[in-house]
Amino acid sequence: MTEHAVDRRDFIFRVGTGAGIAAIVYQASASLRSLVPNVSYDAPTTVKLGPVAEFPDGLKFLPDERLFVFREGNTFHAISAVCTHLGCTARAEALPSPEAKEIGGKSLRLTHRFQCPCHGSKYNGDGSNVSGPAPKPLAWYHLSLASDDGQLVVDLAHEVEHDFRLTV
Amino acid sequence: MAKPTTSSGVQRSTATAPGVHPRPFWSVRPQTDRQSGDAIVSNFLLHWFPAKTCKPSMNWTYSFWLGTMSAALLLLLVLSGGPLLFLYVPSVERAYASIKDIEFAVTFGSWIRSVHRMAAHLMVAAVFLHLVRVFLTGAYKNGIGQGQRREWNWLIGVAMLLLTLLLSFTGYLLPWDQLAYWAVTVGTNIASSIPVIGPTVRELLLGGRAIDQPTLIRFYVLHVIVLPGALGGLFLYHMWRVRKDGGLAKADSVALLGDRIETAPVKTKTYTLLGVARGTAPTVRASTIEAPDLTVNSVPDLTRRIAIVVLGTIALLSLFAVYVRSPLEEAANALVTPNPAKAPWYFLWLQEIVTDTTVRIGSFTINGAFIGGVVLPGLLVTLLTVWPWIDKSPLAAAGVWFPRTRRAQNTAFLAIVGIVIVFTLIGTFCRGPYWNLYWPWQAWPEIPTRL
Repeated sequence: MTEHAVDRRDFIFRVGTGAGIAAIVYQASASLRSLVPNVSYDAPTTVKLGPVAEFPDGLKFLPDERLFVFREGNTFHAISAVCTHLGCTARAEALPSPEAKEIGGKSLRLTHRFQCPCHGSKYNGDGSNVSGPAPKPLAWYHLSLASDDGQLVVDLAHEVEHDFRLTV
Repeated sequence: MAKPTTSSGVQRSTATAPGVHPRPFWSVRPQTDRQSGDAIVSNFLLHWFPAKTCKPSMNWTYSFWLGTMSAALLLLLVLSGGPLLFLYVPSVERAYASIKDIEFAVTFGSWIRSVHRMAAHLMVAAVFLHLVRVFLTGAYKNGIGQGQRREWNWLIGVAMLLLTLLLSFTGYLLPWDQLAYWAVTVGTNIASSIPVIGPTVRELLLGGRAIDQPTLIRFYVLHVIVLPGALGGLFLYHMWRVRKDGGLAKADSVALLGDRIETAPVKTKTYTLLGVARGTAPTVRASTIEAPDLTVNSVPDLTRRIAIVVLGTIALLSLFAVYVRSPLEEAANALVTPNPAKAPWYFLWLQEIVTDTTVRIGSFTINGAFIGGVVLPGLLVTLLTVWPWIDKSPLAAAGVWFPRTRRAQNTAFLAIVGIVIVFTLIGTFCRGPYWNLYWPWQAWPEIPTRL
């Protein structure tokens, strides 16, 4: 008989070990894959906020949507209350006297400022980050009127620039 | 007295066989060295200890017995976790109410919960102090024994500290109160701040994109099965390694500092235990580390001290838990973030550094969540992990408190520990509403809870 580098016993041992490892790896990854969610039952991103008449001039905070809705006469804009640092809900604090600010050629009346209770980030009334760990401004969301009943509608998946206004 | 006979009628002596003694509970109170050695080998609870223990390594002021204390607290956590497993319901609708029941309706419920909570708090402290002790005494250094891998045991220890912290984190989420909800929010957003993979990691942790039932059940299973299982396994391996490494580093330092003389085999020594031979074999070598004046029988000298530490920890904690009630915040409310929203004390230094580490370079901003929540803690853990291989101090520096040859690294280590402690104190006593700084004696301004 000639000498083989791998004899039959070795060969079967290697095939067996390899098959065993492959089976364990496959079964383990199948088990772990089951923990990756395929479906996420998220809250809808387009939400009716209520009739326009329910929004007073100035600020209304909507806790469910974590949203600040501002009204200045006939124009509306909405700023997210979700802190851009680590996602706590920022709180609004009324300014002693409103300030005016020019953003993108449009003037904005700033009536409040925002502060986060978790790590102390501070934002201006237009959502721009002023101090604290927040890395970027609060998000502005797209507002529209519902075509059926005329309610105010926010699209939480649609961020807009700071010159966005909805005029009713 | 008739000697027992086998079925074939052959007489057999039971009393003279190794590990067999006629009196009940003989292994608790051995009368001779022989019985003391046999007690270790033949007793299920004691068989992982050595028959003889180096006397100086049992000094109260060398190790402060912090490892044993941590193990005792782990035991208490498992014991008190048992009834809680039957009483707690891991559902977002019922979790809070079930904790309320445990606290107010179940007989001894509030005590059991308090034991569990206080033991968890103390375990974080004990495990951390144990790590500090091991570092300061250079106890992760190998000595004169063969096959020592103390640096691996240090690694296992670091992993166990992380598991302890994760167990605490997943544990305080379970009541599903305000603390829990906002801790999950902040914790998973820290994970989410990792570039590229962050959002996927968050989704995996939450079991979706929002904090809901899949989140609670994930943290629950981690808390009651996965993490305790991993910690238990590592604990057993940790203990086995201590044995393999020849006990504490103190034993090596004692042997190194003393004169290493080969002593003649001692008459009373039972070499049967070493698996070498039956009876006293003259060929067995003994060095000073096993010399009779430095070692004592583990039963009762080691077992007595372990009993003092374990029973003492259990007794003190049980009493303590009678007087300290466990707090429960308001039920989880996704609509209102508490002001201030504080993490438990052992995470406040992290809350402090995620506050302070947002970096702005021109228009480019890196979120403090990533630097303070991922990079810096990751760096600390990496440093701890590789340190035994960086530490080039001489052998004599192991097993000794504050040796001159390790002064620089001990100082650097203590400086980092100091920073962590200072940040923890600032977070605990000096942070108020909106995470603003206040002196501890300063009154916080009154802020309406709802807008």
